[in-house]
Amino acid sequence: MSAEGGDPFGTSIKATDQMKQLMVEYYIEAKTTQEKPICWITSGGPVEFLIAMDVIPVYPENHGAMCGASKIAPGLAEVSEEMGFSRDLCSYARLDIGGAVKQEGAIPGGLPKPDFLLCCNNICGTVVKWYEELARYLDVPMFLFDTPFIHTEKTEHATEYVRQQCLELVKFLERQTAKEFTLEKFAETAMLSVQAVELWKGVLKTAENRPSPFTCFDAFIHMAPIVTLRGTQTVVDYYTLLKQEMEERVEQGIGAVTDERFRLIWDNIPIWYAMRSLGDLFAGNHACLVADTYTTAWAIDIQIDDPLTSMADAYTKIYLNIAIDMMLEQLVGLIERYQADGLVMHSNRSCKPYSLGQYDLARAVTERTGKPALIIEADMTDSRVYSEAQVRERVEAFIESL
Amino acid sequence: MGSDALKQLLDMRDDPYARARDWKERTGGRVIGFFCCLAPEEMLHAAGALPVRITGENRPITKSGAHLQSYCCSLARTGLDMALEGELSFMDGTVFVHTCDTMMRLSDIWRLNAGFAVHGDVVLPVRFEGDLAREYAYNELSHFRRKMEEQLGPIDDAALNESIRVYNRNRALLSELYDLRRENPSILPGDHALWLVNSSALMEKVEHNALLEEVLEDLRSSNAQADGKVRLFGVGSAMDQWDFMQMVEEVGATLVDDDFCNGRRYFDTPAPEGDDPVESIAARLWDRQSCACKHHPERDRAACLTDRAKEAGAGGAIFWQFKFCEPHAFDYPHLKKAFDQAGLPSIQLEIEQGSVSIEQLRTRVEALVETIKGAGN
Ligand code: SF4
Ligand code: SF4
Repeated sequence: MSAEGGDPFGTSIKATDQMKQLMVEYYIEAKTTQEKPICWITSGGPVEFLIAMDVIPVYPENHGAMCGASKIAPGLAEVSEEMGFSRDLCSYARLDIGGAVKQEGAIPGGLPKPDFLLCCNNICGTVVKWYEELARYLDVPMFLFDTPFIHTEKTEHATEYVRQQCLELVKFLERQTAKEFTLEKFAETAMLSVQAVELWKGVLKTAENRPSPFTCFDAFIHMAPIVTLRGTQTVVDYYTLLKQEMEERVEQGIGAVTDERFRLIWDNIPIWYAMRSLGDLFAGNHACLVADTYTTAWAIDIQIDDPLTSMADAYTKIYLNIAIDMMLEQLVGLIERYQADGLVMHSNRSCKPYSLGQYDLARAVTERTGKPALIIEADMTDSRVYSEAQVRERVEAFIESL
Repeated sequence: MGSDALKQLLDMRDDPYARARDWKERTGGRVIGFFCCLAPEEMLHAAGALPVRITGENRPITKSGAHLQSYCCSLARTGLDMALEGELSFMDGTVFVHTCDTMMRLSDIWRLNAGFAVHGDVVLPVRFEGDLAREYAYNELSHFRRKMEEQLGPIDDAALNESIRVYNRNRALLSELYDLRRENPSILPGDHALWLVNSSALMEKVEHNALLEEVLEDLRSSNAQADGKVRLFGVGSAMDQWDFMQMVEEVGATLVDDDFCNGRRYFDTPAPEGDDPVESIAARLWDRQSCACKHHPERDRAACLTDRAKEAGAGGAIFWQFKFCEPHAFDYPHLKKAFDQAGLPSIQLEIEQGSVSIEQLRTRVEALVETIKGAGN
């Protein structure tokens, strides 16, 4: 997801340049804008409201990924560790707090200071604590968009609570921006968002083909616009282009990995600093990571006839906000749909909601599909806890066993 | 002192679940475990069940390592281990409250592996702010009540109101205990006081109330001389290290008030009694002291805690931290700063159940006590 992260393997994707350009322009606008307010938002947050209100959304998690990929994460994390934040906390939070204090990061001068914060806890409870600290440190208002977790059932009162919060969020944004919310603009944004999401799903679907035209390492890089800017025409244009290129590749039989022999599913957030070496490792062993649970998380459905209710519903049902038995269904679905030979799980010590439960999931997936699962221990940005040699050995042994 | 009631309660420390097992044998009733003190225990009680708190324990992990990574807090790891080893087999089910990410996932893993007949989730809001969240909390509690009725039998309003009264009585007695100790901590060592709270969540409330009445009777008339121990304030999730608490006493200090969830936070606010029992429970949860797992924008936890520490005459604080516990680790720098600014020196102790070294901790506590004494507090 890094703006300057390269395209490590296979035939390089041509659209990458456009994507980079798009992200660079986005960050330049965010850094230089005089009139548009800036809101820091969590990756699973309902960004459509911000776009419809002409607010520039800034994603500390996206920036965290960039810092991870460019290997400056540990240095930033240390700043917050010196402030007393434990090394066991989510490394996105640690490096973001460090970056905010130092005003440094993967873009010059660090992220632009927010006017307010929008925190949605459909990905974890960590973001609540993290944004509370940002609100205190940066002295800006924070809106918590609270999406009750789904264990065994999705209750009506929960959906209603989330739906009502959409309206409350609108009022909050009107107060913060001194602008009026209009349904027309919102419907337009929601429609563009739906289009982008559909196109993104289309991109991901091309990987069902053999050979797959891209690997999930490519998807990690090309997901940045869908996460940050869905709801804009630029993003629709971009994914139209990317989808076209992927479809062409399929037609021409171009695979992302030379001589694709094994097809694997990836689970959890990428190990950003090791993307290149992991990509080479899998590709070198003719294994293609054809799909993952991370980039599909942004494939949410919004119904145009009742955008608020369907948004409340979609934002509550996302992958990290459901119980592991429901996650299992999705994992099994991915394995079947992509005809995968196995599952690779990144046990990510930064991210408890994503990682706790993986041991059970790994066993259950094998039981259900007969496909083996490999678990590697790492951290998404904190390379201080990563052992490359160990991971290499385990991956090689796993592929050999397939 | 030396009252028989106190001794009976303290004896439970050797086998915390003995009374629950015994209750089950005696009554044939159902025992329901829970982890978090936000659980609406009264509903279980009104259904005729015995709610019993699980806080993990000091033990090497055998079975739960196959379900939870090593970077998960020991409370979840040892708690699950107890269940998988069959040590909680006297329980009929478990109730989970939405608090941190770890508990959220533990609920899934527990439901799928621990083999209990009854399972409940109370997905309370994280936002403890505004009418929407308050209404959702009420609806979720009502929903939970219906779910428990399906699994445990009817919970009628009259029974629920009666359970609320019993629980409120318990809260009043425990508050009085803390008040008496604030006046004069030497009437009862800190580890005994905290155990009196902890034991409340391990046995039938009516019986606990009766024993507590007796203990308090003695304490009210105690003529123990003030012993000049350094007063400390405790901050953290669950404090279950009784050897540690005793060591604090040995080095000339005592925890005189706390924010532990098996301490002050367990009994801090009574439920307002009225016609609608669900409303009473919701109102209490809403008015309680803020919790690290909930978002209370209008109530700064640091201000609440430093005020309480000062009211308790504390000269300093101990931050008691489970390793890998996110909510408390995130709050720490902010709280620490507030305690510093209030002139209250503190130490942060990070532990994992099963590998606590009292000797190492002793040095740290001694240093804190010296600092406080040096500051002339
Ligand atoms: S990495 Fe995990 S814990 Fe950290 S912000 Fe993302 S979802 Fe939350
Ligand atoms: S609040 Fe902390 S100690 Fe309690 S279960 Fe969660 S992580 Fe563990």
